[in-house]
Amino acid sequence: MTASVNVPLNSRGKLAASLPAEQLAEITALFEFRRTGYSLDAPFYTDRSIFNIDMEAIFGQHWIFAASTAELPEPGDYVTVDYGPYSLIVLRNDDGGVNVLHNVCRHRGARVLTEAAGSTGNLVCGYHSWTYSPEGNLIHASAPGETKFDKSCFGLKRAHGREVAGLIFVCLADEPPADFDETAKIFEPYLAPHDLSKTKVAYQQNIIEEGNWKLVMENNRECYHCDGHPELACSLFPTWGLTEGLIPAHLEEVWDRNKQAEASLEERCRRYGLPYEVVEQLDTRIAGIRISREPLDGEGESFSADGRRLSKKLLGDLPDFRLGRCSMHLQPNSWFHFLGDHVITFGVFPINEHQSLVRTTWLVADDAVEGVDYDLEKLTYTWKQTNLQDKAFVELCQQGAGSPAYEPGPYMKSEYQVEAFINWYVQRVQEHLA
Amino acid sequence: MIELLTETAIQEPQRIRGLEMPWNRVMGSPETPARAARALGPWHPQEFMAECVETVPEAGAMMTFVFRRCDGAPLAFRAGQYVNVAFPVNGEDQEPVDRSYSLSSSPTQPWTFSITVKCDPTGLVSPWVHENVRPGTILEMLGPVGAFHLPDADRRARYLLLAAGAGITPVMSMVRTIHSLPGHADVVVLYHGSDAGGFAFHRELAYIASVDSRFKVHYSLGDRSVPERWEGLRGRLTAAMLEEVAPDANGRQVYACGPEGYLNTATELLQKVGVDDTSIYMEFFSGDRQTLLEYQAEVALATDIAEEIAEEIADSAEDYFEGQPAAFGLYEPGYDADGTLEASGLPLEISDPEAPGSDPAVDSPGMEPEAGSPDASSFDTVGTGSLTMSFMRTGINVRIDPTEHILEVAQRAGVRIGANCKEGMCGSCKVVKLSGEVEMNHQGGIRAREISAGKFLPCCSTAQTDLVIDA
Ligand code: FES
Ligand code: FES
Ligand SMILES: [Fe+2]
Repeated sequence: MTASVNVPLNSRGKLAASLPAEQLAEITALFEFRRTGYSLDAPFYTDRSIFNIDMEAIFGQHWIFAASTAELPEPGDYVTVDYGPYSLIVLRNDDGGVNVLHNVCRHRGARVLTEAAGSTGNLVCGYHSWTYSPEGNLIHASAPGETKFDKSCFGLKRAHGREVAGLIFVCLADEPPADFDETAKIFEPYLAPHDLSKTKVAYQQNIIEEGNWKLVMENNRECYHCDGHPELACSLFPTWGLTEGLIPAHLEEVWDRNKQAEASLEERCRRYGLPYEVVEQLDTRIAGIRISREPLDGEGESFSADGRRLSKKLLGDLPDFRLGRCSMHLQPNSWFHFLGDHVITFGVFPINEHQSLVRTTWLVADDAVEGVDYDLEKLTYTWKQTNLQDKAFVELCQQGAGSPAYEPGPYMKSEYQVEAFINWYVQRVQEHLA
Repeated sequence: MIELLTETAIQEPQRIRGLEMPWNRVMGSPETPARAARALGPWHPQEFMAECVETVPEAGAMMTFVFRRCDGAPLAFRAGQYVNVAFPVNGEDQEPVDRSYSLSSSPTQPWTFSITVKCDPTGLVSPWVHENVRPGTILEMLGPVGAFHLPDADRRARYLLLAAGAGITPVMSMVRTIHSLPGHADVVVLYHGSDAGGFAFHRELAYIASVDSRFKVHYSLGDRSVPERWEGLRGRLTAAMLEEVAPDANGRQVYACGPEGYLNTATELLQKVGVDDTSIYMEFFSGDRQTLLEYQAEVALATDIAEEIAEEIADSAEDYFEGQPAAFGLYEPGYDADGTLEASGLPLEISDPEAPGSDPAVDSPGMEPEAGSPDASSFDTVGTGSLTMSFMRTGINVRIDPTEHILEVAQRAGVRIGANCKEGMCGSCKVVKLSGEVEMNHQGGIRAREISAGKFLPCCSTAQTDLVIDA
């Protein structure tokens, strides 16, 4: 299902344009002289002005992940999401679509909704009770004695919202980039069989990482560091990322196991008509994507130590639990794992140049019963641990970027997707600054 | 004629999603006419007399006995369950001998029911049954019994049904039940027999598989005597055979019935092909002491419950349908309260006396306040008007006329309810109504969900009956 909403009411002048010419020139140069294949210069991770540019050029321009359908299943359900200085209300309307509204009261600017999620009829600002319809129209403001007060001029500002295969994306630009449609066409067939519209949130974890949002994304794009993830290592083959000819003797057996698992997953995917091929267009399109379906070790069903299912109810109309993981990465702020028994969504919500909120949401079939069909602790164990380990890695890098001794280092072969992410980022900002 | 019979491509039927047993909604319905149909819903075992109305010889030395209850009631059960029958093997004046037999008919045709009995020439009871039970024979029965049955609702009805020999009996009931119901399902039957001519029900199974695309039926002959023209599978159950008939066994619920040895092998093999043991259900047709004792205990429990219910019926025929024993989960509907089927696009609802909205007190005027909460009759009463509003927290009764807005009258009487827009938009005056009816003209300040949870906006509501309000 897709749904889109109206164009935002207005837009502001470019933030970059308000920087002193000299500083802007310096920053532009930093982008221009970025050394391909190397990590970014320190200011990209530490400088407030560059963070502001990121907010404008990346988060202010592109389609960004906000939530999944399961987080707002019913009319009136909403989540509030913040991207740097932006705060948005994503609300399920009565027609089943989503309304995306700036969470900024048109009276004196108070946050209208203060909860992270909830359910509401009309939207009432807590300060002076200005009341907005779910569409954002100002419908009530007590105004004794006011004569010339035209309520229709003070609706909440709107942004674009779309829902694809159970994922909700927002775009703050007046004119959203058009190629998201193409990207959606790529990933929709992979996701549709998991039927996210029939899932519910089993658990949501919010962690604040002391790191720039780009470091969070970079860390996710490589498994060079996966030795640091003992729990995850049970599910991923220890040969993950290696290719024929690079297999050390002690891993040959694992390699064979991996090949076999791959072949039988392929066969199953073909039997059930599930796409599994790798599509990798991380920096070759505006709405960059990588998606594939890969086998998991052990029983190949889920992220558990023995590879067995973590929830007993299959998602959607899937016929089989042994479907490995369909993994998707979308530029700029999200990645996902779709399994036979559950789905995990990951969203990165920048707070400032050195802090990011990482939100992980575990979805299970909406008729799965906690304690009967799944054990919450077991369901969330692997990724809770992995997230904490990743948080530590990201924070080590953030600390490094703050040191005068830091200089960009080379991405290794297995880190080519990190390079692709950075390349995508640099291109997008340069286009915006041009 | 011949031309008419040649095969033409016919499109697949269109179906609602999932399977749902016909009694499912009826059991949860608070409405009287639907309640009457509860007799068709299986919730507990009963003791009853049944008359044999038909005997049908089947392949494999089996015989089907069709019965109807002497009291004319339908026999309500779940596909896969069994009845315990008292057979006067040693004559009418001697203690009868009890035996349990799986029901082979479908509970969706509840007015008659059947058991299918394999004749074991060395046995005490089955030869007697084959020889003596005839149309007109009346027997005493207890049923339904057993936890081996299809779920009452299944959004993803994907089954692998394994049967060996007489183990086909409950499986046949399952097949007939699913075949009689609309809805998506995917059923693979793997039926093991020892000789080619001994597969009971094979013609009906073949017929069902030929007209109902939801079914695939496979036969396998054990390792003895395989005739030349045999086109089915060969040999005992193996992992390879399971993979062959159901490569997606992993995602199915498996129901298996047969002798102990067969079921033990099946358990092992199913695990091997990745079926989770929580997805495996078994019924033993032979077994060691332990298994037999378990069945005996099951029947004994059913007897107790049946007696308890009989007493209740004797006490009060009126309360018959309400008086379901809560003690034994085994006999409770297996669906969950949130309802998972989309068959009608509506969520399933189960009448839960605890849940808001289904409180019968809502339509009875003399609603009693919850234990421990104050009694409104001791409150002061203020104002004039034809109706009374009791504000339980404030501890006051306020009289009101049906034309007045509740909020105004309440605020005037000193009840503290926050309010802003007074037009049903902002939701700030929202309160919970414990009983009574209001008429509300809101403008988006409240959600349908909140209304069904008992909330309302007093600023834009008038009273239609006496009210009890949580404010
Ligand atoms: S700031 Fe929102 S109503 Fe005044
Ligand atoms: S006061 Fe605003 S809805 Fe009642
Ligand atoms: Fe990691």
